Amino acid sequence: MQNVQRLAVPAWTRWFVGAFLTVFVVCGVAGVEAWPLTGWRLFADARRPVQVAWQAVTVDGAGHETPVPFRDLPVGFHGNVQVLKGFARLPAAEQAAVCRAWADAVRARGGQVEAVRIYRTGADVSRRVGERGAPPARELRWTCQGGGVAAA
Amino acid sequence: MASAEAWLFAPGDPRRVAALRIGLGAVLALRLATGPYLELARQPAALFRPISFLHLLDAMPSPGIVAVLQVVATAAAVLACAGVAARVTLPLAWAGALPLIAMTSSLGKVVHNDVLLLLALVPLLPARSADAWSPGARRRRAGRAPGVAYGWPVRTALLVVAGAYFFTGLAKLLHAGPAWVTSGNLRWVLYASSDSAAAPNPAALFVADRPWLAHLVAFATLALELGFPLVLLRPRAALVLVPCVLAMHAGIWVAMGLNYWPMAVTVVLVLVDWAAVADRLRPYNHFLRLKKSHRPAPDSTMSPSAQA
Repeated sequence: MQNVQRLAVPAWTRWFVGAFLTVFVVCGVAGVEAWPLTGWRLFADARRPVQVAWQAVTVDGAGHETPVPFRDLPVGFHGNVQVLKGFARLPAAEQAAVCRAWADAVRARGGQVEAVRIYRTGADVSRRVGERGAPPARELRWTCQGGGVAAA
Repeated sequence: MASAEAWLFAPGDPRRVAALRIGLGAVLALRLATGPYLELARQPAALFRPISFLHLLDAMPSPGIVAVLQVVATAAAVLACAGVAARVTLPLAWAGALPLIAMTSSLGKVVHNDVLLLLALVPLLPARSADAWSPGARRRRAGRAPGVAYGWPVRTALLVVAGAYFFTGLAKLLHAGPAWVTSGNLRWVLYASSDSAAAPNPAALFVADRPWLAHLVAFATLALELGFPLVLLRPRAALVLVPCVLAMHAGIWVAMGLNYWPMAVTVVLVLVDWAAVADRLRPYNHFLRLKKSHRPAPDSTMSPSAQA
């Protein structure tokens, strides 16, 4: 057996470990988000089959709609689900800025954008059509055009 | 409480702390070197959804700042991993990583991929993590005597890993209750995930199409997460629980395309006793060294004329 160095643990070490573990546990139990400390809410909610979501589409000069291809845009655009979820709470100027950012990104890929439309969708994932869910019901909520945003 | 404190601050092997420094430092270096931080820095300000201390900013940090931060933090992580001035380089790498990794969670949703890595590194920041398996330790010919300085960093990291999975399960119980298992929850999650992908996901559909299997997987997930702290009481339980956690992360990746490899690797690095692994491998190292010393030197095989 090797010799064990049995010096006392310094007081600062005990304080440091104690304080760190305390905030770690408090955040975990209370669900506090103080990143990088977290409440560890990973898929914590029970989902229902009917799920409300949002969809953003661009409209070209001929009036054709194309879903904004968020997955193909740079990673900075990948927060679309959360941005759309909070879109209603944004001031009009910020809503217009969000639409402009999406339109510019689509134009940068060669797309033609006359307007951006935002739909609220309701899908029942339990209704299956082959390997896909039944098409969701859509309701137009906003149209961004000419630098302004109009609620439907 | 006293026994918990005695456990936490009991002596430990310096090689186990060193193994955490090397392993977690390497994962951090890899994440820092390959992360999409420069791409995120070019995000339009209108899409910025800051988290934590990034609320101080109106937009992502500029590409210039991000590039400098990325180079410095990556270099510091590599040096820490190598055991060079680890008490300076490891905190420097961690501090540099913090804003960079926070950027990935500033799109509107907390991304947990790197959180466990960052938190498991916290106890190592002030610890003497380079007293073994480092150039300094080799120069000093430092012994491998266990000491109280080497126990608490490993055990604190263990508590963090066990706690992370336990709290993940607890959050499910607190927010969804038993319905997380007993309702169609997992089926709807998997269907929605598959429907939002460019092509249907066969693994997700295989589970979602079979209600009994979805309930079983949900139950197993919750039981695994809530039961993970068992590794603290019965270290041998890690032999079962660690492969189960790896299987869970692999399953999530296959069925939902969510890659949590930094979290899975952190679990392995923290829960495996690398000092014990090294001890088990030592006879093989000795054998290899012996074999090398018995190999004839290249010069001795040369003819006198060639040597001339």
